[in-house]
Amino acid sequence: MINVQQLRDRAKELLESGEVKYVFGWRKGTFWYQSPPVIISKAEDADKLIWDEFCLNNLSKYLLDYKNLDGKIAIFVKGCDSRGVNRLIQDQQVKRESVVLIGLPCPGMKDPQLAREMGESKLNEVPKIEKCAQCLTPNPVEYDELMGDEVAAGLAVEERFVRVQDLESKSADEKYEFWQQQYDKCIRCFACRNVCPACNCRECCFDQSEPEWLGKRVVTAENQFFALTRAMHVAGRCIECGECERVCPMDIPIMSLNKKIIKDINGLFGEYDAGVNVEDKPPLGRFDENDPEEFM
Amino acid sequence: MKIIKRDKLKDLLNSFAKNAQTLAPVKENDTIKFLPWKGQGEIDLSQNALLPPKDLLFPQTEVMYRYTDGGVQGEITDVAAAAERQVIFGIRPCDVRSLTMMDDVFMTKGYEDDYYKSKRENTILISLGCNEPQPTCFCTSMGIDMMEADGADIVMYDLGEKLALEPKTDAGEQLLNDVDVLEDGAAEKPVAKECQLKADAEGLAEKLAQMFHHSYWEDLSRTCIGCGTCTYLCPTCHCFDIRRKNIGEEGFQFRCWDSCMFSEYTRMAGGHNPRPSKKERVRNRFLHKLQYFPERYGKVACVGCGRCVGKCPVNIDITRIIGELREVSVDE
Repeated sequence: MINVQQLRDRAKELLESGEVKYVFGWRKGTFWYQSPPVIISKAEDADKLIWDEFCLNNLSKYLLDYKNLDGKIAIFVKGCDSRGVNRLIQDQQVKRESVVLIGLPCPGMKDPQLAREMGESKLNEVPKIEKCAQCLTPNPVEYDELMGDEVAAGLAVEERFVRVQDLESKSADEKYEFWQQQYDKCIRCFACRNVCPACNCRECCFDQSEPEWLGKRVVTAENQFFALTRAMHVAGRCIECGECERVCPMDIPIMSLNKKIIKDINGLFGEYDAGVNVEDKPPLGRFDENDPEEFM
Repeated sequence: MKIIKRDKLKDLLNSFAKNAQTLAPVKENDTIKFLPWKGQGEIDLSQNALLPPKDLLFPQTEVMYRYTDGGVQGEITDVAAAAERQVIFGIRPCDVRSLTMMDDVFMTKGYEDDYYKSKRENTILISLGCNEPQPTCFCTSMGIDMMEADGADIVMYDLGEKLALEPKTDAGEQLLNDVDVLEDGAAEKPVAKECQLKADAEGLAEKLAQMFHHSYWEDLSRTCIGCGTCTYLCPTCHCFDIRRKNIGEEGFQFRCWDSCMFSEYTRMAGGHNPRPSKKERVRNRFLHKLQYFPERYGKVACVGCGRCVGKCPVNIDITRIIGELREVSVDE
């Protein structure tokens, strides 16, 4: 594990020298199994920074709040955070030169719920949280400087769509019933959308009231419209950080939907991993003469 | 006092359900929620329900009336009917307190909300004392007794193998007399374990009245993602929006929960938004709980249930905030 002091010193240096105006990192939360995000602007606050087994949050989304900042932001990036930054760069929300990326190879974060149940003395036995167990890119894919040594590759490619296989084996009616059950739980808090680096529209269609695309009633039809519209909107752009599913208070398996779409896109347009290489155009954002056109 | 063995609980609920819609904490898909008791299901009294019971009196989506759209000939066809009797079984003391705050909002200060009132007056509350709090619980800091529940019709204690029920109102007494699966008995009230999380909001409202423009709100809101998890899981948050849905020549008016965390919450017809960023929205949420509500109703609008503490994706923790607000200097 990377020494926490190293993080703090670097943050302090960057803030003191004036090279950056803000540093995005993680702090210690209310409980020992929580390390939520922190945004600091003063060198003396650098000591709040932490790097431990519970730095789950993807920090990239916060860059949207500082789009018009006159100055730079330093952001600690795990694999998923760096893909999130690339997502925002590709979507022309953030300029590469306005961020200093400090890479942190990520061993995979632990499941706070299980940690809470198992107790602090069994910290070493606490398994990875699902989103990290599913991670393909634990090492930062883009950075200006790297702390510590790269870790072994993440999930084997053949395991990537295991969750999808379960779903695919269902009949159409079973699939419908499954997703209806899941999205009937939705309370429409929009945590999934708000945490997602791919959801970066200036104004989300779900927030518009004239015209009112999404009705405010929390009923099956509206919930499904919300779920499917969002899934299709992030199609080809989802960086698989799994934050949507982690933050869902109702435990809806949102990543199963996203992964199914990724699998289909990969099958139709060739292998593509969103946010890994900023130069690669998203499959639904480009045209190729060899694209399948079975519907024509 | 009446006693029932835990394995006879279903019989008790079946008895209640004969005469009234009976809602009990049931585990469904790994989540505990208050669901209508239909004789089947896994009653789970191990910890509080994830979703607060406010939905049973103030539904997330509620049709108010229906109409036909015929210009001046249009007419209102169907106003929501008066509520039927309901029994809420196993509601925790914190949530009972939250309903008394809902009562303040929907039934006092010269305005009575018929939709709420009709349900409330037909509701019987059977509380369940908490022997052991969750790590996120801090109800005792909010002046709540983990065993008792002012406002409940029947107070229930968890004695392990058995549950003891003590009627507190005539309606509660009547309800217990009407069922035949209970035994008379006496039991000692269990002693609750202490809440680990603490907060002291006493007298904070006066300080907050001078802190509207404080830099604290900017700092606090930085990591908020602006979702509505805290407000929708909160048993005291009660904001709603009223909308219409037209289908051909007919339509209906409905209301649904709303959240001060959302951008369109205060957006006006011309597009102006007096709370343009999350700083103003987060500030509103906490000032509403800790200043405006106490000023209007004489109590802090938090019951220490800990749902927001447990589920906030970025650990914006009201107990920490209360502590920090106590510490900061008003002039900053």
